[in-house]
Amino acid sequence: MQIDGQIALTVLMGLLLLIVAGWIARIEDWRSYTPLASGGGRAVDDTAYETQEKPGGLVRWLTTVDHKDIGILYGIFGTFALMWGGATVALMRTELFTPEQVLMEPTTYNALMTSHGITMLFLFGTPMIAAFGNYVIPLLIGADDMAFPRINAIAFWLLPVAGTLIWSPFVLMSLGIEPAQTGWTMYPPLSVNQSALGIDFMLLGLHLSGISATLGAINFIATIFTERAPDVGWERLDIFSWTMLTQSGLILFAFPLLGSVLLMLLLDRNLGTTFFTTDGGGYILYQHLFWFFGHPEVYILVLPPMGLVSLILPRFAGRKLFGFKFVVYSTLAIGVLSFGVWAHHMFTTGIDPRIRSAFMAVSLAIAIPSAVKVFNWTTTLWSGRLRLTVPMLFCIGFVSNFIIGGVTGVFLASIPVDAVLHATYYVVGHFHYIVMGAIGFALFAGVYYWFPLVTGRMYQRSLGLIHFWLSFIGTNVTFFAMILLGYGGMPRRYAEYLPQYATLHQVTTIGAFLIFIGGVVFLWNIGQSWLEGPRVEDGDPWNLKEDGLVTQEWTWFEQKLETRLADGGEPSDDETAMADGGERE
Amino acid sequence: MEEQSGLSDRHRKASPWPLFIAVGLALAELGVFLDLVSIAIGGLLLFVGCLGGIVSEAGYARTPWPFIGGLGLVLAVVGIALTALYPLGGGGALDLGFRAVSIAVAGLLCMGGSLLGRVVLERQSTV
Repeated sequence: MQIDGQIALTVLMGLLLLIVAGWIARIEDWRSYTPLASGGGRAVDDTAYETQEKPGGLVRWLTTVDHKDIGILYGIFGTFALMWGGATVALMRTELFTPEQVLMEPTTYNALMTSHGITMLFLFGTPMIAAFGNYVIPLLIGADDMAFPRINAIAFWLLPVAGTLIWSPFVLMSLGIEPAQTGWTMYPPLSVNQSALGIDFMLLGLHLSGISATLGAINFIATIFTERAPDVGWERLDIFSWTMLTQSGLILFAFPLLGSVLLMLLLDRNLGTTFFTTDGGGYILYQHLFWFFGHPEVYILVLPPMGLVSLILPRFAGRKLFGFKFVVYSTLAIGVLSFGVWAHHMFTTGIDPRIRSAFMAVSLAIAIPSAVKVFNWTTTLWSGRLRLTVPMLFCIGFVSNFIIGGVTGVFLASIPVDAVLHATYYVVGHFHYIVMGAIGFALFAGVYYWFPLVTGRMYQRSLGLIHFWLSFIGTNVTFFAMILLGYGGMPRRYAEYLPQYATLHQVTTIGAFLIFIGGVVFLWNIGQSWLEGPRVEDGDPWNLKEDGLVTQEWTWFEQKLETRLADGGEPSDDETAMADGGERE
Repeated sequence: MEEQSGLSDRHRKASPWPLFIAVGLALAELGVFLDLVSIAIGGLLLFVGCLGGIVSEAGYARTPWPFIGGLGLVLAVVGIALTALYPLGGGGALDLGFRAVSIAVAGLLCMGGSLLGRVVLERQSTV
């Protein structure tokens, strides 16, 4: 039976290699080498074909190295991941509506919880940020493309492969491959002792996603350093590029460490090494290494969204970002400090109290640059000419949620408070205010803001407003209830709970469903508007010129529209879009 | 094979290699860690072959064959060294199963493929 399996795998592998070789040989047109080498005689049709920059159809998307295409691919992948991450949490919150187990086994709950965390952090958050970075940064800095377009494509294609590995155990359960139930932190001994093959799949998938993030980071750093247009000096670099640059630096230091830790876990699991066993390096070593990656990861995820808000919010406040330089300095300060706070995740593990107090101090200190940013966003809004477009609403929602998420985090940085609240729903509420309330909101703001730029069409403002209000109310209902649950002592990561927590859990579930419905409205809006939305005919759909706030990407967009019109344009019977969703006054 | 005409010569913003580099790397990792010999060897072949393709396409090398041969040599050395340190059947401190052998075989196949490419394909193209 085993030998049959090996033969089948060998045949399948051989077939795959043959198909790949055949496809590449066909697409690369090997036969054309001969005539070229002997004088270069080519068919006339071929010459016409050569004038195009990309092949057509599906092949274009499989072979593209254009930063804009890759940005769209990242966005589509991130949206798919968001749907899976959203579906997992919808199932979990449904189960948690009642104290006792109703819908699923606790093991299934654990698997969904693990998948939700891993998906949202590694397969939704990081790729969606890369989507904006890829599409917009070369346009913002006046570059033709990313510094390494092919590496850019490799970085993207590693993600669907990683996602397949991470998600596939849910599909392969019937074959005896169980999904991981370790939580996103993958602490040993649990992650070493559990035999589920899904853990190996997840570790390998995460390792690949880490390689992807590192390749992407190298590319962003090289692009921003070397590909800026001559007139874009450091003093003229936009705030989003600054945050992407800092984030890429953090990735460069953090993700290779995660990759090494994952390999050590894999070796402990499969080859009997003792990196993280009691006799070897010990479990605390794992926690140190993991959180040395894990806490910078928080800033890897939050800095570019902060950049998005710093870029978008002033456009609709009618004035420049207040204290631009200090926003940049605070970004750099957060980048540096982020590597000095990791042990606040380990206050209750019994590590040396002197180490704990040092990490408490730095964790409290990192609130200062974060507060500088909040101050700057608020003062940008102060006496500004506010236009409450959908992206602007999401930016304001970001600031509001970030304040609550940030302040609850300051409390947690204090050792005695953490000793009480560690591993309760308070922590879950705190970091979801950041990851959903802040990061999620900023990414939505980015999607709406650049929707006309990417698609050439305008979204539906009414649906955008419904999405915003459902998300804003849902976020605050869900996560504030979680904070109260945590104060009440409700521990995190449980599929069942004591009846005394039922009311707050039900409020949390209702809030989560508000967010979920908002997400469905968002997907519908984006999908339908991309296909049928009113075409944008104006190169400045947000009227940024009025306030002198046009950025480079909109100039590119305007030129693109002008070129299209000069080429004959696309005759359109569609309604012409007005700013923010085609609503006419 | 002085002048190569690949996809990216015709389409400046396209390359067929990145997708398969990603798939190759994933299969190689999966095969090596889970000790699935055929997937490990196939994945490594796909990965190294496509790296050779992309390096020559990007103009870092005139032809892919020396790169494929060189990387094959590295894999072969690593695989053989690991097999010597931890022999098949669990003689060493660790039982590597067929993992090291897979890496060595993949390396040797890459070297063979590189040689074949140089001798056969380049000769054909210059006829």
